[in-house]
Amino acid sequence: MALLEWKAEYSVGNVAIDHEHELMIRHINTLYEQINNTAGNDATSVEAVLGEIHADISAHFALEERLMRQARYGEYEEHKEDHEDLLDQIHDLIDAFYQDPAVGEQRLKSRLSGWFGRHFSSFDSRLHRQLG
Amino acid sequence: MLNTLQKIGQLAFELPQKWLDRAFGNNLNPLRHLGSMTIFFLWIVLVSGIWITIFFHTSVVGAFESVEYMTIDQWYLGGIMRSLHRYASDAAIVTLVLHVFKEFVFDRYRSARWFSWVTGVPLLWLLIPLGITGYWLVWDQLALYVALVSSELLDALPIFTDSMARNFLSVESLSNRFFTLMAFTHIIGLPIFLVFSIWIHVFRINRPRINPPRKVMIGAMLTLLALSVVYPALSQGKANPALVPESLALDWYYLLVYPLLKYWPPASVWALLIGFSLLLCIAPWLPPARKPAVVRVDLENCNGCERCVEDCPFGALEMAPRSDGEKYASEAVVDAGLCLSCGICVGSCPTATPFRTRSVLSAGIDLPDQPVAAVREMIIQSTQNLQGNRRLLIFGCEGSKQLDRFIDKETAVVNLTCMAQLPPAFIDWVLSRGHADGIVLRGCAHSDCQYRLGARWTEQRVSRERDPRLRKRVNTEQLALLWTEPWCDFANASAAIAAFRATLPEPLATTEQKASTGITISRHRLRPVAATFAWALFAASALVFTIWPRFSQLQEGNAIVSLTFSHAGQRVAECRKLSQQELNKLPPNMRKPMDCPRERHSVDVLFSADGQVLYEHSLAPSGFWKDGESTVYYRMELPAGRHEFFIGMRDSGREKGFDYSGETAFTLAEGQHVVVEFDPLGKTFIFR
Repeated sequence: MALLEWKAEYSVGNVAIDHEHELMIRHINTLYEQINNTAGNDATSVEAVLGEIHADISAHFALEERLMRQARYGEYEEHKEDHEDLLDQIHDLIDAFYQDPAVGEQRLKSRLSGWFGRHFSSFDSRLHRQLG
Repeated sequence: MLNTLQKIGQLAFELPQKWLDRAFGNNLNPLRHLGSMTIFFLWIVLVSGIWITIFFHTSVVGAFESVEYMTIDQWYLGGIMRSLHRYASDAAIVTLVLHVFKEFVFDRYRSARWFSWVTGVPLLWLLIPLGITGYWLVWDQLALYVALVSSELLDALPIFTDSMARNFLSVESLSNRFFTLMAFTHIIGLPIFLVFSIWIHVFRINRPRINPPRKVMIGAMLTLLALSVVYPALSQGKANPALVPESLALDWYYLLVYPLLKYWPPASVWALLIGFSLLLCIAPWLPPARKPAVVRVDLENCNGCERCVEDCPFGALEMAPRSDGEKYASEAVVDAGLCLSCGICVGSCPTATPFRTRSVLSAGIDLPDQPVAAVREMIIQSTQNLQGNRRLLIFGCEGSKQLDRFIDKETAVVNLTCMAQLPPAFIDWVLSRGHADGIVLRGCAHSDCQYRLGARWTEQRVSRERDPRLRKRVNTEQLALLWTEPWCDFANASAAIAAFRATLPEPLATTEQKASTGITISRHRLRPVAATFAWALFAASALVFTIWPRFSQLQEGNAIVSLTFSHAGQRVAECRKLSQQELNKLPPNMRKPMDCPRERHSVDVLFSADGQVLYEHSLAPSGFWKDGESTVYYRMELPAGRHEFFIGMRDSGREKGFDYSGETAFTLAEGQHVVVEFDPLGKTFIFR
């Protein structure tokens, strides 16, 4: 079973953002499968998925920030900080996998589901009201 | 050829620029703010001009007197305002010429930059006449010279039927209305077009620098104030049409071509001016054409986040509705005509991350000639054989030359087009993957980036003020930004780099630190002295060509005789009464009883002194129907002394002899100006 599933309540009312959120969930699930189901844990492929996530999530945040600015979203600064933190974490994870896959995996497991759950519930729903 | 010229010009510009960098620091170096300084000087001109306008009398008698009043009676305010008005307009020409020179030698006028270059040409055509009309209004000896020569230039254009220059040969022929017209042109007409044209000039530039830094403005203002107090601008004696001054202090900044009129016919001077302007206008397209491939948007990697649009210094990117059916609203679109292929947009693209290994590394917007994938490859290649634990990777840009001299066994160099082409994620990647232990970003001068905003964006991204931000975890002690003048100070830079290498920490990542701008080259304590000296030099450069070299209209011991009048030749045919038969043939509304052909004979004029013919011309009647007056305006230089003059004129189409003639003899004094006119009532010639 996948770690995360797309739920209608995740929708922020913007087609592009929803589309990217779905993409993120797919990425996370791929990652989850990689570290759980693959025998022998191919560290390089996990790292590669993280690289993709890094590119896509950077772009996603960039787009989301633009929409927030244009909508004059009140909590832009907070949300932006949250984005920056997440990007920092992803960089650290990539490094951890690069240096020691075992450490990387442990860290990843402890963070995976928390990332997006928190991201959606705390900020994006408020953005939803403002964008909608 | 052009390349060599530009290289020489670059060296000629670099040297003083380097000295001034030392005196001012390169952010406050006036030579790096030439365009905006020109605009600042025009502001001074505007403000001082308003003051002058209040006290100026727009009349023949009042013009000179009112300027004298301001200059002498009110020297402490009006005089200073007048001096500021003059010196700021001269300073504007100095900075403008340097500005054009700099953009030319650094090749910043081609490809997408053509627009600003070409729209600069009309600025010249507005600014120069603005200065000329200003000198005209003062109505001193120089003004008279300006009036005469300007009129001669304008008379050469096929617009005026009568000669305008004739107005300035005697005080009686000049009316106050003329001063009103001139004041209007100078105070309202030209400035309106000038402001409008400056707006167009910077129209296509993203975030143009309209104002120089405040310290530069203060420096420039104090300099001009000091100059105005020490060497106030003065008039050169009231205009007197009967006398040619021995010599004049000419403002060569504005009147450069006027003395040419002494040797060349006006048509040649016009040809020179127009030819030069056309050459400037087509310069951006003259070979050798250089146009690298423009950036390309890769829709696979573009979600329309707009960062590239915000960062492009040339407004070459804009958002357009999505064209590939993806679920995004918009996409970036490149205007190839505006793109300079600097790659600043690539550095802003969030997908340009070197951590991508699964898919092909391709940014949402990328440079075909040097894509991010190639940059990553270059980094890997150049650093793989580095040795030691203080390995440095230096990134250079187009403006930082001679970087290869830094390469050794512990130093690698990667050359980019622009520093901001490097996405900040690359810095993180190089350090965290251990490709090097320290990074130096060696860009061209911060305030004078070859691609305008490259240095600014790089600095802001690295200090996390601008997206995409450098990650906090990057230890900024391992990063140095070195914005200095690249051509001349290799020794300086290598010393700074060696110092940076020595301070490199052991490569333990993840220490949180505030981003620093890295290397600073220490300031010398004599800097204020050097800066003051530089401003004094600038004051001198704004002054020198307004007073030297002096210009003499006349050779020593000579006087001027001007032949000037308008006279209508007789009609070629007499009026004739039409017969009834002829009238019947015409449409009813055209049955004019008299048929009067309008064409006139040419007027032939011959002028001689001491039996020697000095002027002999057949003057065609003016006007489309050849029914206007014929006009003669001709200036002759004669040695002072006694001469016998003869003038003859025929207007009846006869072959020989004259219908009117005059003879006289008198002594010409040195510098005297004698005008020969024709009195249409008495039908006689007058020598005045």
